[in-house]
Amino acid sequence: MKLWVYIVRRLLLFIPTLIGLTFIVFVLSHSGGTNLVLAEYVNPRLTGEARTLLIQKLTEEFHLNQPIYIQYFYWLYQIMQGNWGYTNTPIFSGSVVTAIELFLPNTAMIAAVASILIWVIGVPLGVYSAVNRDSATDQVVRVGSFSLYAMPIYLIAVALILAVGVYLKILPFAGVVNPLLVSNLSWYHNGISYPTHIILIDAILHNNWQVAWNAFLHLLLPSLTLALATVASIIRILRASMLEVLDQDYIRLAWSKGISAKLVYNLHARRNALLPLLTLFGLTVAFLLGGAVVIETVFSYPGIGYWTTQALLNNDVGGIMASTLLFGLILVSANLILDIAYAFVDPRIRY
Amino acid sequence: MQQETAEAGRWENLKLSISVFMANKSAVVGLIIVLVYLIDALIMQFDPMLLGIHHPDVLVPNFLNPVPLPPSPQHILGTTYPGIDLLTSILKAIRIDLAYSFFVVAVGASVGAVIGIVSAWASGMFDEVIMRITDIVFSIPYLILALAVGFILGRSLWHMSIALAITWWPLYARYARSQTLSTKEYTFIEAAKAAGVGRTTIMFRHILPNVLPPIFIQISLDLGSIMVIFSTLAFIGFIPSANIPELGYLTSLGLNFVQTAPWALIFPGLFITIFALAVNLLGDGLRDVIDPRRRG
Amino acid sequence: MSEVLKVKEVKQQFYTRRGIYKALNGIELELRKGEVFGIAGESGSGKSTLGLTIMGLLPRNASVTSGSVLLDGKDVIAPLREYATKSNQKFNFRRNENVIKKMNRELSTIRGNKVAMVFQDPMTSLNPVLQVGYQVAETMLVHQPRTLAMRRLARANAKRSDLNEALKVLRATESDEKALEDFFRNKGLEGLTEQVISIWRRKDLADAKKEKMILSLHSEKLSWFDRFVLNAVKEKGNLPSWLSKTPILSRYTRRVLLKEGYLKALELLSTLEVPNADKVIRMYPHELSGGMRQRIVIAIALANNPELVIMDEPTSALDVTVQAQILELVRHLKVKFNTSFIFISHDLSVLSEVCDRIGIMYGGRIVEIAPTKEIFDNPMHPYTKFLIAAIPTLEEKEIQEIGGAVPDMRFPPSGCMFHPRCPYIMEICRERVPDMIQVSKDHYVACFLYSGDNK
Repeated sequence: MKLWVYIVRRLLLFIPTLIGLTFIVFVLSHSGGTNLVLAEYVNPRLTGEARTLLIQKLTEEFHLNQPIYIQYFYWLYQIMQGNWGYTNTPIFSGSVVTAIELFLPNTAMIAAVASILIWVIGVPLGVYSAVNRDSATDQVVRVGSFSLYAMPIYLIAVALILAVGVYLKILPFAGVVNPLLVSNLSWYHNGISYPTHIILIDAILHNNWQVAWNAFLHLLLPSLTLALATVASIIRILRASMLEVLDQDYIRLAWSKGISAKLVYNLHARRNALLPLLTLFGLTVAFLLGGAVVIETVFSYPGIGYWTTQALLNNDVGGIMASTLLFGLILVSANLILDIAYAFVDPRIRY
Repeated sequence: MQQETAEAGRWENLKLSISVFMANKSAVVGLIIVLVYLIDALIMQFDPMLLGIHHPDVLVPNFLNPVPLPPSPQHILGTTYPGIDLLTSILKAIRIDLAYSFFVVAVGASVGAVIGIVSAWASGMFDEVIMRITDIVFSIPYLILALAVGFILGRSLWHMSIALAITWWPLYARYARSQTLSTKEYTFIEAAKAAGVGRTTIMFRHILPNVLPPIFIQISLDLGSIMVIFSTLAFIGFIPSANIPELGYLTSLGLNFVQTAPWALIFPGLFITIFALAVNLLGDGLRDVIDPRRRG
Repeated sequence: MSEVLKVKEVKQQFYTRRGIYKALNGIELELRKGEVFGIAGESGSGKSTLGLTIMGLLPRNASVTSGSVLLDGKDVIAPLREYATKSNQKFNFRRNENVIKKMNRELSTIRGNKVAMVFQDPMTSLNPVLQVGYQVAETMLVHQPRTLAMRRLARANAKRSDLNEALKVLRATESDEKALEDFFRNKGLEGLTEQVISIWRRKDLADAKKEKMILSLHSEKLSWFDRFVLNAVKEKGNLPSWLSKTPILSRYTRRVLLKEGYLKALELLSTLEVPNADKVIRMYPHELSGGMRQRIVIAIALANNPELVIMDEPTSALDVTVQAQILELVRHLKVKFNTSFIFISHDLSVLSEVCDRIGIMYGGRIVEIAPTKEIFDNPMHPYTKFLIAAIPTLEEKEIQEIGGAVPDMRFPPSGCMFHPRCPYIMEICRERVPDMIQVSKDHYVACFLYSGDNK
């Protein structure tokens, strides 16, 4: 099969997945009947005449009087129009789409930094530990990754806060930036920076290096926590898969060619050992996003996860449903991209 | 005669299995820790007075002295806000956490396993559709989905475990399916088919006995992970200001005192970690036993 | 006749949880130059282990308790033996693995260069994520970068007239390779000889087409940098370290040689009669059939014209027609390159087609060695007799099966390993290990039936 045929086929499979995903979210947000849907879209502070009018309008737009399977299509239509509802939490109150616009970049930022850390820490450690099986380093890596794997994310966060933030006092552990530094800046209002909403990038754009450095420091602990929480499973899987690959016939053949150990490990073995990891990368993304919810809460870091917990604590149905849909969409797309990338890396998959 | 040798072979095999397991020291330690947790849970269930605990179902606050106290002879692990003794609360919480985790595993995993096995067995269109559905459910981070489901049901401990059970089945469905598929390929199944053995008989006599043990091991291994997730949900505030002894909730009580009273966070968290670690170590040992390649 | 390989008194065992398996129990073997030596035996007799031991390709739980394998003047298994005999403490997997890693380093000049191995299952012995051409080229790149550089430089330096003259030489001397080699050496274009010959030898092309291909060999130009790199390799024998150590440069310079390696791989594959070799070198293993893959594994083994090739059941996983082709290939190579082969198989009839001598293995020992014809005409060891009787033939006779089973090598029988199954068992067989005795020229057998002191 040609590569592009595979890609097209994969893209076509994407459509039913999307329909399924949206359907699940639809069922969830309609399971409480009409009231739940209205709660998602009506600003709770609205009262009186205006409220009644809005409810009427929504009932019409979403066809709430019609059978439920018809409602799905109208709901989907609204979602595609960008009408995702209304959120009301202490950290943000307003349209869900705006909330996403404000919070998603921050989450993306820590997820990106964490991903880099994961690969930089995880791959060399996993490979080294497999190649030097049973050595002292391997034992340490194994015990370390086992313990990290067993630790709840919030405990990792707390441990890091205590060690680095409270005890050593070298890194800040709350928020995205020191509020004193940004109180008088033209591009920063109410905890939101402009234009990208990622304060580190905005500060660089505005040439304010003091703020940028401070924002960078604020970024480190949450990212490190997220990375540590994920890297344990990466190391474990990579070590196991590397050990399995090293037992394969083609590695024996590679040794029999008299090529250097470096070439055997880094080219012949590592490339094969990384393949199963790649399929698991979708899981890693899920793990990163799930972890972000907890970590952002602990660090009061204004990302999607923090917003979601705030929505939960404040009974904000709009926020909960929107983030479910959003996280689902991100993951489904990540998996799609990975599947396609996988076809490029592993020549066998195309057949 | 043949019966006898088969019996002897089985005994031989069991002996080897035990020796393989015992050779893995960390697995034995894991087993002991898991047993200690189980015993604690049983004591709390049937006779909490054995450990001098009066109310195994609720936390006992002390509003006279709500600020967390460091470990001392009266409070061996210290106290957390509002004046709750940590040691007794943790002992109580272990029962609650274990019980709810068991529930999640039992419901979520067995539903998933059944779906996976049936889907692999049926194959064709049915299999395709079921697997698509699992893929989709799988694609939403379980933490988020559990949040949403639990939110709809209403925030409580009970609903939280239902939500987790609902979100955890796809994992097992996938695992059970792949196990069944690979078993179906075995030669002895082919032979049974060729010999004209009926489908149902093959399923119950040949496939299930081979598929179930590894699935059950996998499931029991996830008890640790589920306990972690369970407590995580409680930690981020899923249980609204209840008085329930739950490890994640206990941890969250100490969150505001992270700088002054780190023990209030560390001890409850540690007890979750130790359990999850023990289950994982135990699982590693069990996997040694069932994986013939690792037995060698 | 000189010996390529000398195996002396090798004893080797595997440590497992179920016990210690004594895989080799004193192997004696000498291999002559240009000889195909067959090794036969039931599964579990230690045939494959012997092949791997000669290569030094042992897993971490393998321990060599005595003996030596002399290959190219080097004792291959010395480090393992030293570890096993020196340490009085318990066998330690990790330490043993470190010894094996050290061996891998030490043997890297021999493996792939002087000795190569073809493994049993072609479906799993090629790396699935690397192009076939790369896997063949790699071994040349590591061991003979100079040859590759010279080939490329010769093509760039040759003029059309040189090639025209070379064709004349070929025609005049009726394709005498020596003459062509001398001709190119005088011109300073040594690298061209094998390229011209490999085209000239191809059977699938018409003569006119071949001549055209040979003439077109000169047309490729070289950039100054590539020329510089290749000249450096030609003089120093390998890439200068400042080039191979710098991150981006190393990649680029390696690629210059690698390209030539691909061309050489292409030649090699056409010699092995791989159809569409130019396409095949760009393919991945899963795109090829088992027979094709085995040819590629063979190409990897032959890439540097090693003195010894160990073939571990190279045809067992293939169907009969492919098997015949591969056997034909071995015969051809033996004549052409004077390569020695160890051909391991459980199938005596396969061995009879290619081997000069055959050794029969049982319980980790060689029990009989004889020239191929001799072993079929006059088998002496009771086990050999059984093996030969068990070969199915067209004649209507009852196929004899060997009673009993291969011994459990954790608890090998005392004395002669075969005594529990032997119909001619005597008292002494249980007590002593029989020595190899010479019964005629080149025919040795280890059995008390022929030793005279069987009282």
